[in-house]
Amino acid sequence: MPETKTKMMSRRKFLQMSGALAAATAVADPCRVLYALTKVAGENDPARIKEVFSACDMCFNKCGLIAQVENNVIRKLDPNPKSLKSRGMLCARGNAGVKQLYDPDRLKYPLLRKGARGEGKWMRLTWDQALDHAAEQLDRIGKEYTRCGFLFMAGTDMQSTFVHQFAEAYGSYNVISHESNCLLSRNRAFLDTYGVMPTPDVLNCKYVIMPGANRFEAIVTPDSMDLMSAKAKKSKLVVLDPRFTKTAAFADEWYPIKPGTDMAFFLAIAHVIIAEELYDKTFVKEMTSGFEELREHVKQYTPQWAQVETDIPARDIKRIARELAAAAPSAMVYPGRRSSDYEDSTQIRRSYAIVNALLGNWDREGGLLVPKKVKPGSMHIEAPFYEDNPDDRVDAGRAQMMFDEEGSFKHTRDAVIEGKPYPIKGWMTYKTNPMQTGANRDKTIEMIHKLDFMMTVDIAMSDTAWMADLVLPAPSYLERQDPLSAFLASSTCSGVITRDPVVPAMFESKPVFWIVKELAKRLDLGEFFDFTVDDFRKAQLKKIPEVAKALKEDGVYNVSGPSFGLHKGKPFKTRSKKIELYNTRYRDKGIDPMPVYNKPKVIPKNYFRIVVGRNAYITQSASTNNSLLWELEKENKLWIHPKPAANLNINDNETIIVKSSAGKVTIKARVTKETRPDTVYMDTGYGVLSKGLTNIFGKGACIAEVLEDKADKISGNMAMHETLVTVSKA
Amino acid sequence: MKQRKKYVIIIDAAKCIDCKACLVACKVENKVPEGFWRNWISVLGGENGSLRTEYQPSQCMQCNDPSCVAACPVQATYKQENGLVVIDPEKCIGCGNCITACPYKARYRNPGKRIADKCDFCEDRLNRGKEPACVVTCPTKTRVFGDMNDPESQVAQMAKTQKLVQIAAPHINTRPNIFYYEGTQLLDWAVTPKLPGNINMPRDFWKTVSTAEKG
Amino acid sequence: MVKRLSILAIVMAFLVVSIGVTMAGEGGNARKGKYLFRKTCRSCHMADGSAKELSPVSKTQADWQVVFDDISKLQCKDEWAALSEKDTKDIYSYLYGHAFDSPSPAKCK
Repeated sequence: MPETKTKMMSRRKFLQMSGALAAATAVADPCRVLYALTKVAGENDPARIKEVFSACDMCFNKCGLIAQVENNVIRKLDPNPKSLKSRGMLCARGNAGVKQLYDPDRLKYPLLRKGARGEGKWMRLTWDQALDHAAEQLDRIGKEYTRCGFLFMAGTDMQSTFVHQFAEAYGSYNVISHESNCLLSRNRAFLDTYGVMPTPDVLNCKYVIMPGANRFEAIVTPDSMDLMSAKAKKSKLVVLDPRFTKTAAFADEWYPIKPGTDMAFFLAIAHVIIAEELYDKTFVKEMTSGFEELREHVKQYTPQWAQVETDIPARDIKRIARELAAAAPSAMVYPGRRSSDYEDSTQIRRSYAIVNALLGNWDREGGLLVPKKVKPGSMHIEAPFYEDNPDDRVDAGRAQMMFDEEGSFKHTRDAVIEGKPYPIKGWMTYKTNPMQTGANRDKTIEMIHKLDFMMTVDIAMSDTAWMADLVLPAPSYLERQDPLSAFLASSTCSGVITRDPVVPAMFESKPVFWIVKELAKRLDLGEFFDFTVDDFRKAQLKKIPEVAKALKEDGVYNVSGPSFGLHKGKPFKTRSKKIELYNTRYRDKGIDPMPVYNKPKVIPKNYFRIVVGRNAYITQSASTNNSLLWELEKENKLWIHPKPAANLNINDNETIIVKSSAGKVTIKARVTKETRPDTVYMDTGYGVLSKGLTNIFGKGACIAEVLEDKADKISGNMAMHETLVTVSKA
Repeated sequence: MKQRKKYVIIIDAAKCIDCKACLVACKVENKVPEGFWRNWISVLGGENGSLRTEYQPSQCMQCNDPSCVAACPVQATYKQENGLVVIDPEKCIGCGNCITACPYKARYRNPGKRIADKCDFCEDRLNRGKEPACVVTCPTKTRVFGDMNDPESQVAQMAKTQKLVQIAAPHINTRPNIFYYEGTQLLDWAVTPKLPGNINMPRDFWKTVSTAEKG
Repeated sequence: MVKRLSILAIVMAFLVVSIGVTMAGEGGNARKGKYLFRKTCRSCHMADGSAKELSPVSKTQADWQVVFDDISKLQCKDEWAALSEKDTKDIYSYLYGHAFDSPSPAKCK
């Protein structure tokens, strides 16, 4: 009986799909086909276009969108003005979402590796064959190496929660997120100071110091827009960045700070604020703990001392400290996002958190706000316990205070390579691309060679998929039903967004929910996935039924209302129940309880520090092959200052070699004053191995290939700015 | 009787972060082929490796005295009542005269359709009651679109309160309908239109040139 | 389930019920504890359950310490008595280790 059902389903699916395939053929020349469609329907008939709400997935922001659908083809994605997070905007990537959907490079059906790993020889499988094979491997590896011998890694995606649930039901606690290549050290620092990760009220802030964050290029909604609105209200923006980013271009003051010395700057700021008694005395007394220790600690960090470290004049440091304090509490050190830069990143971010505390901006207009996310319910999995499993994660103990539910990609990779403390032989990745985003690509390849089996679920043939044994095609965000997802939008609001299919899924793509459900069935774990996405949503909506109505009518649910003055003397979620300037837990674990400055290593002659960054049309490696975005940047280049370029006899656009202890790449030079003479830079997401990414294959260089893999000592977050490179003519 | 519309865009270039959302939005909305654009962002700085400090978006200016219209031998391109300069795809012979006649380089020849193409403020969207794609998608709302003849419109209000300037071509003032905030360091990028010698230009056209020269 | 526990409770009642866990989160297996917590505690301590909804982040480490210093004071002391010392320790490790002021607070699950 079930078989007949499946067959009937697949027949219907097939019919749907033939329609989808027709649209896919249209990909080759969307202009002409879409043009033809408009001709048929009549130019001026507004009814020919159906509008469907969704949420963007071109980066993590989940901006609201309204798809313009014509004859089951998405013609255009418009912003949803109802979303108070994205405020009626869609960036270049958001607009290019149609090309993620109608992309000839999409994965179309399950593929099994036939040649050597990374050779690119594949065999097409049916879904049944693919799932049977995967289930067999999961079962075998689980039995042979314990369930923890299988590693799971899912990117920032609304269905990643199902991968985590599957890992739990299967019995592995070796689950890592993309976050340990991104922002965990920032979270660690703020959590260990405030007990939460506060949300910055950029909109109402009168004085923002932005250290190493590039908010006008690495777009975070609504912060990026708020920063511009604040500027119109004459708010002051001070940017510290070795590069002249577009954010620096909009700053009132830009300081090309020496990379790795941000902590020195903020310790000196704290020094001035305390020495001149400019801090919020009532606030510090009532809300913080360890002020006396801090006062003593920062005495040594004078502005004159910081000038030598940072290359920022002492008089400017003093002036900025005074200006900050004068604008307080509507003044902030912007916490930033990606903090995967140095081995002491958590401590660096702690110094930001501490200066914010001295300004007393917590829970005040224009300061750091209490995060007040809407909390949808969830569906509990009563996961079994496997007695033979090892006691802990494979990366346990490799960092001082790792987040148990995030793990560390760097440390897990090391553990897999070493086979210690126990072997890991299987790996499932979903919509994450550590081959491009994890520093030291050779080591990722080495890790993969240690595995018996690797499976990747993704939309296109990423470099990570390219290395896998089994590749399964997922639909884009415009073709699938997702659970609800809560978001925070600075001071404006918090809210909930979701997705329903705008158009039917193309080719043989299947959502990862369906995939893990099918695997669970085959592994006798079906009972844990005895639900649909609809059921899951119902559980999420149980306590917040009003959300369903808003999502239907507006495509988004927003809760606005007062955003500051909410804390009201509640205890902070820290050990001392206060903001911890001095962290006793750190002390007990042998970690510096207050940030202690360590000089970054001196850059020897003919070496450069290489730094990582973003522009507004690249989401790491996930968007560079999108033909609409690729047209904006066809290859990446190495930014190098004219002075060293002249010394090395390197001309603009000339092909050069960039070399580190991790690897060597060939790339073109962009000679520009937009970077310090001792710092070079390149965009992420080029120099791919995958021949399945036809636009960018053979273009530019992969930064992960030259980055050495250091880690933040406390959180285990990747440290990507610790690499020194040489540059030479090719 | 309803007053004639006069569609304009006012641009506060100081707000443009060069995120290129407007470029991609336009490209998708208007099916602009690879290698061509209906709108663009000019950059202040960046020559010889210098710092890029300001970004200025632009597109077809829907001029009141459009040199492209004058240059079209077959009246395929014309100015509508609502102020938009449009191209009739049935009439256009793809000769390219209008492309060189535009002082703003706003036109290109669509290789697939073999006709001239340019921004029309997304007229198809306007007919559906929507603003141009570049306008709605902008994160910082650099562009403001509206009907200058409607005193209630945001653009009419801005025109009252904000000093606005236009980018005019040397030797010829086509009276563009894109306005910029005064005070932004506007780049001087408009060029003297080049006209092919193979057609007879209407007398008026050269008159405009000479008036502009004298002025 | 409840019935089974109560029978066990009768058996256990002959034992001295004063399992005070004093070590700060050490010794227990937090992962096992998570499983046991869900299996034994959450049938009541859940949304719309017969007792207050509980998760590790419902309390601070200090508060959990107070709870486990003397679990005989809890309303559900009989159920606790039915658990082995190891199981109790495991649950304690989980709750204490992922408390709301802990270095790794549990995500809402």
